[in-house]
Amino acid sequence: MIQIIYHIFVFYLTLHLIGFIMREKKISDQLSGMLVLIMFLLRLFLIK
Amino acid sequence: MKKHHFKALFILTLTALICYFSARDFLSMHQEEAIYPSSQLTAKKRLSDYFPGLKNSPGDSTVYIFEGQKKGGTLLVLGGTHPNEPAGFITAVLLVENLEVEQGRIIILPRANNSGFMHTDPQEGNPQKYSFETAGGSRWFRYGSRLTNPIHQWPDPVLYVNPAGQKLSGIESRNLNRSYPGRKHGYLTERIAYGIMRLIHIEKIDMAVDLHEAAPEYPVINAIVFHEKSAELAAIALMTLQMEGVDIRLEASPPNLRGLSHREWGDFAETHAILLETASTSHGRLKGKPSASLIIEGKDKNYQKAAKLGRLYIPFSEEGIPLKRRVSRHLASLNALVSALHELYPDLAILFHNIPSSTEIEQAGIGAFLRSPK
Repeated sequence: MIQIIYHIFVFYLTLHLIGFIMREKKISDQLSGMLVLIMFLLRLFLIK
Repeated sequence: MKKHHFKALFILTLTALICYFSARDFLSMHQEEAIYPSSQLTAKKRLSDYFPGLKNSPGDSTVYIFEGQKKGGTLLVLGGTHPNEPAGFITAVLLVENLEVEQGRIIILPRANNSGFMHTDPQEGNPQKYSFETAGGSRWFRYGSRLTNPIHQWPDPVLYVNPAGQKLSGIESRNLNRSYPGRKHGYLTERIAYGIMRLIHIEKIDMAVDLHEAAPEYPVINAIVFHEKSAELAAIALMTLQMEGVDIRLEASPPNLRGLSHREWGDFAETHAILLETASTSHGRLKGKPSASLIIEGKDKNYQKAAKLGRLYIPFSEEGIPLKRRVSRHLASLNALVSALHELYPDLAILFHNIPSSTEIEQAGIGAFLRSPK
């Protein structure tokens, strides 16, 4: 159960990061978001 | 769509690509090497058959059983307790692929800590694989970590009180050789240890041998570590090995060092508990650049220098200590232990054939005794 809640939380933050990258106008901010997004996606899909 | 939206889409595509290649590399660490058992294999089981608590967990692994026509003793051989000590694992693989048992039973667990094979130690720069050339092509084997993978067992406690009651550093909670006799509902590593204890009880193991390697600067090296119940057996094996020209020493299992195989197997089961150590440069602290060649050839300039300064417990020349020599040492020690068991307990005789001799391995290399990839 804790794992499911944790995954939902990471998924929620992942969606927010994608929204952040779409909203930001400066490429440096978008690239910063990308670095965090990579870690979130890998955590979400690879570690069960 | 505005200009920054196109940039965002480009960045998201780049993210997907980076994730794909990272994930592919990461998942390749979970891929298990192929082992091709000899035609005389009697049965193949899983550790979870002895302890269902390991079923579908990364701690489950294959158990190979070889049974002779005549009744005799039962030997358990464990490789891969520490997956960064390749001689133990490769010795177990060589046995599985070549063994012919005439009398008694030999049970082999090559990947004792299966989870430890699925990662390498952070910041060590170790290779993930090493390979051998066989008659029909190249075969690769995983080089792992001493500890259970943290993605399978996390977080480590600050202080670890192992199942035998010894207080250790938290990281040792992921060390299989500190987790005996295991806990049924404990950490994954403790459950693996519990599964191995169940195997020893259920299969009525007469002698259990845990194959390891030690860094040349570590004092317990090129040694037979024995539980006090097995002192006579170990002493006979030592004499046999010394007569064959193998430089090896005896180390008694300290009664106050708890959680280790040579201590808890002997205390909690009716078995002769033995641990064997060879010398490996690849996981020593003094080693130079880590590589697959260092694992196989065992040559290292830093260790040559350390030997000249008298900092090592074994002789070390520019020839190094190749894996084939370490494997043949383990095989010779197993042979000597089985002979000693026969000498002390004639009812527990174990007769086996088709295992390469030290000279054969030295001349032809390990690959010559591995089966061709299918």
